[in-house]
Amino acid sequence: MSQDVSTDGVLEAAEPEAAQVGVEKKTLGLGFWLSVGWIALIVSLALFAPWLPLKDPDANFIDIQGKGRPPYGPSGDFWLGSDQDARDMLSRTIYGARVSLVVGFSAVAFGFIVGGTIGLISGFVRGTFDKITSFIMLVLLSFPALILAILITSLMERGLWTIALTLGILSVAPVGRLARSASLVFAEREFVMAARTMGAKPSHIMLRELLPNVLIPMSALALLGTAVAIVAEGGLAFLGLSVEKGSTWGKLILTGAQTRQLEEAPWIAFVPITALFLTVMALNFAGDRLRDYFDVRELSL
Amino acid sequence: MNGSRVLLDVSDYSVGFRTESGLAQVVDKVSFTLERGKTLGIVGESGSGKSVLNRSFMGLISSNRQIEEGSALFDGEQLVGRDRQDFWGKRIGMIFQDPMTSLNPVMRIGRQIFEPLKQHLNMDKAQATGRAIELLTQVGIPEPERRLKQYPHELSGGMRQRVMIAIALAGEPELLIADEPTTALDVTVQKYILDLLADLQTDIGMAIVLITHDLGVARGRTDDIMVMYGGRVMELAPSEELFSSMSHPYTEALFSAIPRVDQPKHTRLTPIAGAPPDPVDPPPGCRFSPRCVYAQDDCLTSLPQVDPAAEHQFACFYPVNTEQGRDARGLNAERGHTATGLKIQSVAVH
Amino acid sequence: MVVLLLLAVSMLTFVAMNILGDPLFNILGPIAGDTENPESVAKIEAAKAQYYLDKPLPERYVRWLGDFVQGDMGVRFASDGQPPVTGLIKERLPRSLLLMGMAQVMALAIAIPWGVFTAARANKPADKLSTVSSFFLVSMPNFALAVILYYIFALKLGWFPLRYDASDGFFTRMWQLFLPALTLALPGAAVYQRLLRTDLITTLQEDFILMARAKGVSKRRVLFRHALRPSMFSVITVFGINAGALVGGALVVETFFGIPGIGTAVVEAILREDFPVVLAIVMIIATGFVILNFLVDLLYSVLDPRVRS
Repeated sequence: MSQDVSTDGVLEAAEPEAAQVGVEKKTLGLGFWLSVGWIALIVSLALFAPWLPLKDPDANFIDIQGKGRPPYGPSGDFWLGSDQDARDMLSRTIYGARVSLVVGFSAVAFGFIVGGTIGLISGFVRGTFDKITSFIMLVLLSFPALILAILITSLMERGLWTIALTLGILSVAPVGRLARSASLVFAEREFVMAARTMGAKPSHIMLRELLPNVLIPMSALALLGTAVAIVAEGGLAFLGLSVEKGSTWGKLILTGAQTRQLEEAPWIAFVPITALFLTVMALNFAGDRLRDYFDVRELSL
Repeated sequence: MNGSRVLLDVSDYSVGFRTESGLAQVVDKVSFTLERGKTLGIVGESGSGKSVLNRSFMGLISSNRQIEEGSALFDGEQLVGRDRQDFWGKRIGMIFQDPMTSLNPVMRIGRQIFEPLKQHLNMDKAQATGRAIELLTQVGIPEPERRLKQYPHELSGGMRQRVMIAIALAGEPELLIADEPTTALDVTVQKYILDLLADLQTDIGMAIVLITHDLGVARGRTDDIMVMYGGRVMELAPSEELFSSMSHPYTEALFSAIPRVDQPKHTRLTPIAGAPPDPVDPPPGCRFSPRCVYAQDDCLTSLPQVDPAAEHQFACFYPVNTEQGRDARGLNAERGHTATGLKIQSVAVH
Repeated sequence: MVVLLLLAVSMLTFVAMNILGDPLFNILGPIAGDTENPESVAKIEAAKAQYYLDKPLPERYVRWLGDFVQGDMGVRFASDGQPPVTGLIKERLPRSLLLMGMAQVMALAIAIPWGVFTAARANKPADKLSTVSSFFLVSMPNFALAVILYYIFALKLGWFPLRYDASDGFFTRMWQLFLPALTLALPGAAVYQRLLRTDLITTLQEDFILMARAKGVSKRRVLFRHALRPSMFSVITVFGINAGALVGGALVVETFFGIPGIGTAVVEAILREDFPVVLAIVMIIATGFVILNFLVDLLYSVLDPRVRS
């Protein structure tokens, strides 16, 4: 978003129009494609993990080739080192990606479908329905997100889908609010009014006229939302409140964050941290670029 | 001209900007002088370069794409090529077009006036308060003590402009540059502001550069008028002489475009057809030629120059009140168009 | 409206905890189901009486509400000898507030100079570098950041102590809170800085800035005295919204650094299904939000006199 603005030396007059020939070329840029590349890589690794030549993530390879007590540093045997129980970090990270990514994507999907629909309808229909749903969303939004997540997860068994559902429920409110404001904006536009006056049924209008338009800004934000969901899962895991079986990035980081592990073998924490960070950053960056590209600014908050 | 009375001596002053499409010569070899206590009016449309001239002259444009050339002497000191920060507020004051946006909306009036007083005149709070009240009174603002505590949005447009003038005067400058000071104001208020400026000039003895697009505003309030177009000086003369015997077709066109009380009712105003030239790619000859009803072939190819020694300068081969001019006009009327292809409909003789 | 909101929040929490959990079990443990042993039965009756467990749900809610509003947040479930909820909150809340307060102050202290610096050098190399690093900070999850900061500054460099100890003196404890507060502050600072930069750049294009310069005001003065105040609005707005993220972050940070605050209290309580505590803390947090937003609105009118009229 760099304008051709000169504030150098501070605050002298902006150049007259004659000199300002900075047209904003709207491209997605190299960074965007790099980010997409990384995301694709991680997703593929996670998807095809069972078929890749990886060590068993839960198996203990103690004393392999006479190395003595774990944890082992990065080496030919363990590309990214092992943890304190001699489990391979590379495969644990990749398998951890499976859960983290699934939770992230499905939470966002849930949020978008449910929240998006409710928001879309609210923005169009207004009236009592809108007032009720808006109030509910406001209540949901008044809870600090993490506490709500903890509350819900504590009341159910902590499996993959319940966690995903929890985060999904959490995202309904913000997504719903966004969908609602987008819907409000578009519902005022002439093409919707035209459809209305031609006697089109409300459901038809919402589906055919509103939805495609609202979908554009929302899809730009889907990537950003996924990043948030993945981080949220990580946070839960870090508190010990994520899925009980299997590993996720958050759990791996938690394991590695014990003082003793950090002192002896920092890679146990830093490998999953790096993976998480890169993924989140890629999602954020790509989502940001998409948002600029579609110029979604007017609809935020 | 008496050397020591000359405050401003500008010669061949030019300002260009490097752009992606080429060099935009926004101000092209402008020359003029201004004596102490006198007023120079600079008149031109938007795009004539008058604003850039003024801001660049003040040193307010600091883009590394700017190229400033020529000479601009202020009281003998060369301004071009140096940092002009020490002049701001102290020796040269400036007031801008829109008083609503030129005053800091979240800062009280008092503080905005105190700033230059404290900075340039080293006054303490008490002295500054006293002086601020004096200044506000001088610009004709009632209840000055109350105003000090108010915010800009609590004042009317005319009062805000007066406040701006008060602020600009606070540092006791020798030169005041007024960039379209009345454009954003109602017509009735305009007169007061212009009268105010004239009175202040008499009281304080400062020189004024009055920039406007409205020839009528400049009339009667300036000692000299400089008409600019396309970054160049078209005509420069003492005011009354400019109006009584204008020489440049552009000046004549400007004059015809303003409604005047002394014209008979329902007189058709003639707007100037066409648009200002592109500073990156201007017409090869006289900049005004595409829109000039006098234009001949040589206007397309050669650039008319002013005679810097003359008291009444103009840059034209076919000046208005000369035989060549009348002949040129007649020729164009006969053939129905000028050398640049501009169609001539009727011969409007004023 | 606000009251309605708070009521709804409390109702939701109350219902959730009661329906999805078993209070009797939480209070008494396994003997809750034991209806044969006369001792157990007595305890069960006592508990029922104390917590009104025999009454229908709505009545229990109303009773709780009545007590709460009068300042009695009830008694915790589970073991005796534990302080009542009010006592727990009194002990832990100040700590968390101190942590979050420090974090916000730090965030602003970092963000304002940073924002001004980058706005004045917009699009120059320093600014571009700052945009990149700002982006990094925002993308780093807070628990990961906590681990990284801890590793570098506490473990390797030894500048900060490794654990929080509630019995230490006030200033020692502030120092112990420094790193956790910094963890919370940095991502916030990055966000504030970006917003401030954008707003400043816009403000700097305004006429009154030009006018101020033409008056002879120095660059630094114009930046800080003229341009900064009108540019703070986005930051203030986000400041209020950020409070939510701050609480979540505080949870994580308190857990990792071992600080007994209300963050850790609420996590423990939820896991134990100790709902008076949960209710109390959730209500306090919700009320805190409301107050904070009110303060934010107040701040708007202080900053911009045009809003006042």
